[in-house]
Amino acid sequence: MASHERTTDKRRFGLPRVDWIDRSLIGLIGASFALTVAAGLVQISFGAYGMSVIDAWRLVFDLQLLLDPMTWQAFILGGELPQLSQEAYIVWTIRVPRVLVALFVGMNLAVSGGIFQAVTRNELASPYILGVSSGAGLAIMLTVVFFTGLAPLIPVFASVGGIVSFLLVYTIAWKGGTSPVRLVLAGVIVGTVLGSVQQGLFFMLEDIDTALSAMAWMTGSLTGTDWEQVRMILPWTVVSVGLALVTSRQLNVLLLGEKTASSLGMPVERIRFGLSVVAVVAAAASVAAAGLIGFVGLIVPHMVRNIVGSDYKRLTLGCLFVGPALILVADTGARLLMSPNQVPVGIITGLIGGPYFLYLMRKKHNMGEI
Amino acid sequence: MSKGTHPAPGTDATEAAEASEPSRPVDSDSNDSDSITGQELVLSYSSSEEPVIDDESITARSGAVTALVGPNGSGKSTLLKGMADQLTPDHGSVILQGRDVHSYDTKELAQKLGLLSQESVAPDSITVEDLVYHGRYPHRGFFESVSAEDERAVDRALTLAGCEHLRDREVGQLSGGQKQLAWIAMVIAQDTDILLLDEPTTFLDLHHQLEVMEIIDTLRNKSDITIIVVLHDIQQAARIADKMIALKSGEVRARGTPEEIVTKKLLAEVFDVEAKVQVTDRGPRIEPLSPLNSMDN
Repeated sequence: MASHERTTDKRRFGLPRVDWIDRSLIGLIGASFALTVAAGLVQISFGAYGMSVIDAWRLVFDLQLLLDPMTWQAFILGGELPQLSQEAYIVWTIRVPRVLVALFVGMNLAVSGGIFQAVTRNELASPYILGVSSGAGLAIMLTVVFFTGLAPLIPVFASVGGIVSFLLVYTIAWKGGTSPVRLVLAGVIVGTVLGSVQQGLFFMLEDIDTALSAMAWMTGSLTGTDWEQVRMILPWTVVSVGLALVTSRQLNVLLLGEKTASSLGMPVERIRFGLSVVAVVAAAASVAAAGLIGFVGLIVPHMVRNIVGSDYKRLTLGCLFVGPALILVADTGARLLMSPNQVPVGIITGLIGGPYFLYLMRKKHNMGEI
Repeated sequence: MSKGTHPAPGTDATEAAEASEPSRPVDSDSNDSDSITGQELVLSYSSSEEPVIDDESITARSGAVTALVGPNGSGKSTLLKGMADQLTPDHGSVILQGRDVHSYDTKELAQKLGLLSQESVAPDSITVEDLVYHGRYPHRGFFESVSAEDERAVDRALTLAGCEHLRDREVGQLSGGQKQLAWIAMVIAQDTDILLLDEPTTFLDLHHQLEVMEIIDTLRNKSDITIIVVLHDIQQAARIADKMIALKSGEVRARGTPEEIVTKKLLAEVFDVEAKVQVTDRGPRIEPLSPLNSMDN
């Protein structure tokens, strides 16, 4: 009578129900966490500047540095850094923040993709499906081509571009209400048009260096990220991840289809728009920090769903661990595979993502439906 | 109730017929507390010019089962959607407990009125229990967790729908019939005064069809819930319903008790079939003979 025990177990009122955390979820979180730690170790220990692994980690756990409020003020609020040795400087201002940005970008993209897959009821939806990537991409190209002087503001322009383009997609899809299909189609339309303009702008680029930096934004790169990116992405990550966790039940009800959700008393359009905004903000923050990293927001929720099922309480929690693991592993490859040259991390995620999808396509019969 | 195991609504229908009024029940029922009335409804979809339902009024009496019957495309499901405020009428209104349904907040309405649509979809990996808990959606705040009342309602719904044993199974592993029972449990857990069911027996095997009919019967007997059910099968409707409403081409052609409605003449007029109708103690029995060419009428 295992099922009966489970039922009576729930009768202990007052305690929060945690029985939804099952073995598969714990396993997934454990494995992702181990992978994240391993990749983090590699990222902090190795690099173009040679230092021993032990030295690097002695610096990470340097208590004098860790307990100095001045350092944290400098990292979190962006003040003046205290005097650091060259090794400490490299570890603390280049390698550590890059790992942190990778973690936050991974969380944001995975959670955002998870939300969009529920909103569009399509397993193949990504954070970029409702126009974020095309809008951000166009904003980046416009800045690079016409407003070269404003290059430091690229992150701001990229996220604003993404959000504007998302609103455009929503407006196009709206006809007395939206539907998943209309939203996806509007996303494709906007993506096609903006993508063409963006590619046209490439021909107006004068020198190869600008073209390369534009390309790095388009493919997504963590090269050169520091505490400034951590400061930028952290608050948005906290907000969007928090909202994604508390709205998991809304996402679950949305998965039952609009008709059912609406007859259960959900204001479907309002909830759908609200959730989309959360997902767009998460995606835009990660675009601003690292450019358009592809595939992560698409495959992470997908992978997690295959292991823990489609309950969004479990899925969102799983995404929070698998997303960072994937980005960090990919970034390790991006940084070290062709060392001292670095490739954009988006290239590596694409190289991992493609074959994973091939595997899924071979294994599963009905892909696409949640 | 003596007929807990065998549904024999024929007798019920007779009792109901005696208790209720004969012909136009629209006005006389509207003072009933849990009745729901659609007044002069004009319903249409944005994709077509012509309204599907053009100026019809119906009432479901409190605590009774009202069946909507009619051929394919007669507008039964559309009418049900209109009654559930899932389709805004171009004209007319639906009155629930003395108020226009449109004036209710979406959650408030969902606490009073439940609707089970046709061919509902759920992710394969969701358990029956979790699905039924979603029925509590209108009773829970945005951030609220499960209350003792939610648990009681879910347990009751699982028992009433006869799927207590499926509780921990994943929906994807269930047969079509078992899935439908789980969905019915979900809408029962919603704990509403009015329940609207859109073709709950279509696509089910005979066993599950009877099981669904039995659940409807139990709901009527054990609670004072008001039910409107769209049924494809007029024989089933005649067995279960206290009152029937027959539609054709978006028009109400007849309304009354099963005995009044199920006649040779109506079957020919509304369903375009020639049939023999036999009155038995389980209500009218229909033996369909041959399709009629509608031009003959």
